Amino acid sequence: MKKILIIARHEYWVNLRRPDFIIMTLLVPLLGLIALIIGAFFGGQAGSALVQIFDIDPGLSALVDHSGRFTPILPQFQEEYIPYSDETVARTALENEMVRRIIVVPPTYPQSEDVVVVTAGSRFSESGTGDLRSFFITHLVQDIDDDVLRARLADPYDAQVENINEESRSSGGIAEQALNFVVPFLFSMLLIITVFVSSGYLLRSVAEEKSSRVIEIVLSSVTPQQLLAGKVLGLGALGLTQVFVWIASAFGLSGGLAILVGIAVPLFARTDIFLLAIAYYILGFTVYAVLMGAIGTLGTNFQESQQISGIFSLIAALPMMLMGVIFSNPNGGLARAISWFPLTAPTTMMLRLPLTEVPRIDIVVSILVLLATVPLVVWLGAKIFRLGMLMYGKRPGIVEIVRLLRHA
Amino acid sequence: MMTPPVLSVRNLRKQYGDFIAVDDLTFEVFSGEIFGLLGPNGAGKTSTIRILMDIFKADAGEIEMLGSPPGRSRERVGYLPEERGLYRDQRVLEVLVYLARLKGADPAIARRRAEQWLERVELQDWATKRVKELSRGMQQKVQFVASLIHDPDLLILDEPFQGLDPVNVELLKGLIRELVGDGKSIVLSAHQMNLVEELCDRILLIHRGRAVLYGPLQQIQRDYAPNSVRVRAKNLPSDLPGVVGSERNGDIALLTLDGIGAQAFLAALVERNVEVESFEVASVPLNDIFVAVVQ
Repeated sequence: MKKILIIARHEYWVNLRRPDFIIMTLLVPLLGLIALIIGAFFGGQAGSALVQIFDIDPGLSALVDHSGRFTPILPQFQEEYIPYSDETVARTALENEMVRRIIVVPPTYPQSEDVVVVTAGSRFSESGTGDLRSFFITHLVQDIDDDVLRARLADPYDAQVENINEESRSSGGIAEQALNFVVPFLFSMLLIITVFVSSGYLLRSVAEEKSSRVIEIVLSSVTPQQLLAGKVLGLGALGLTQVFVWIASAFGLSGGLAILVGIAVPLFARTDIFLLAIAYYILGFTVYAVLMGAIGTLGTNFQESQQISGIFSLIAALPMMLMGVIFSNPNGGLARAISWFPLTAPTTMMLRLPLTEVPRIDIVVSILVLLATVPLVVWLGAKIFRLGMLMYGKRPGIVEIVRLLRHA
Repeated sequence: MMTPPVLSVRNLRKQYGDFIAVDDLTFEVFSGEIFGLLGPNGAGKTSTIRILMDIFKADAGEIEMLGSPPGRSRERVGYLPEERGLYRDQRVLEVLVYLARLKGADPAIARRRAEQWLERVELQDWATKRVKELSRGMQQKVQFVASLIHDPDLLILDEPFQGLDPVNVELLKGLIRELVGDGKSIVLSAHQMNLVEELCDRILLIHRGRAVLYGPLQQIQRDYAPNSVRVRAKNLPSDLPGVVGSERNGDIALLTLDGIGAQAFLAALVERNVEVESFEVASVPLNDIFVAVVQ
């Protein structure tokens, strides 16, 4: 154990000081910062351009009310609607871009429902008249004494959908549901990103140690298992460090303390999922890191090893590619099947857990499978390590690897 | 030998697919000796050494190294592999301390020993330089230091002289002799037969995975030239007793004798008033034995 820690610390500190690590780690926040500066600098101009293009800002509306139903305009609408007594004056205001549109309510309203809307833009830039609905309803129901009824007329319902086929736990509003989902989703993303990042470091570290031949000295001092474990620990920590710097800088730049809090709240609300997500993260990372470390010895150099490891990166990302299927039916056959397979279990389970009440057997089996896989990949990894040591100058085929593994 | 062996290998066997790399190898290395592990390229030397270092597993056979199976005694064994390499981007002292710590050495002691040894191999000014800034020969000396920085009892050196200039070869020879003087045991694999002759007490010559010569070096050399003498003399008569073969090179003749001892042959020369400038019992150079056995 002591030697594992010596290796882990060595790998961590040596790689932390590498120029390419520092550049990669700082590049992401730096790009973010540049984007922010550009945004702040050109923000004003870009903003108005966007408004013109997409017509986001509703702007002012001129109201020519011949019916008298909307005069005076209720206080909550006074900032957006200006009363005009004369349509001609209003049209002049429109031409001078003092207002964005004119709403003409005929004297026959509400018996007649025809309302004329005059806008300056073309047919395509018009944003529609949907926002008028609440303006009209609020004014039409203002005479009703019952506050509740008035509120309901303006906003009749907030639907809580419950699907009886999905044994879904009926939860709070959409926002809470989204947050409950976002956290494990971020965890799966974190797992995939750290698997990619750290496995890159692992691959390179092992491949370099092999191509510089120093691995033979190291293996005469420690067992392959110790070396692999030390590297996984040290470079896993390095990958996490990098990912955390990225995340922290993203939050810092977007002033996203609020986002952090928003994530933390549902985390503590559903501790069981949170703890399971951590368990899946650790197990998943271990399995992948050991595999990647072992595969690093197979190629003659970093690039070759990277090619061989590509297939595993693909498997790690598979559940994300099947996200649509998992979302539409979290307890479906496919989702359950890839939850029982050790290489896809961590990501899949992290995606499923917040979506639905996952059958207990899936949780138990996936954890057990992962727990059984860890010693298996460590054993296999150590074998591949011994084997990879042998091979210089050629990249082995799968058949040859299997054949040689029997002798390693 | 009175002392128990520090390394004892019995019936060692290693196979890669159909290729037998090590075939029923048995030998012992005793405390305080320099043991030559010789053989042509691909003979199975490196495979044998890697099995000793527990980098590969043997298919069959028993190994006892410093009283325990391989792998249990890692910290008391030093190893200089034939495939050379160090962490190129790291600093010399840093690398040495790290490798010593992997062998279980205390970091402070490892550092002190690293500094002492760098001075011994005249690299003290390079301690804080990156490995890649060093020349090949310098890197090799650093690796030599790395193999013994944890003060091992048994040192396995695979081609330690390869690529060194004559000055550094002398330096390394001196250090190896000194280590043996301190009671260390050394297994030396080398292709320079003259160096093996100078340094080794006993040898094992492997060919195609099998032991073909094993024992004290002098004994082997004498066995290979059972009865020959090297004589330097002017006007050496051609009808000398017992001579069955002769090879002449100027004044020097290598004579193979039969039915007469070296002592009696010398007496015969004196009797016939041959002016002998030098006379010695000839031992065949190890190089010739090596070539003869392997071909």
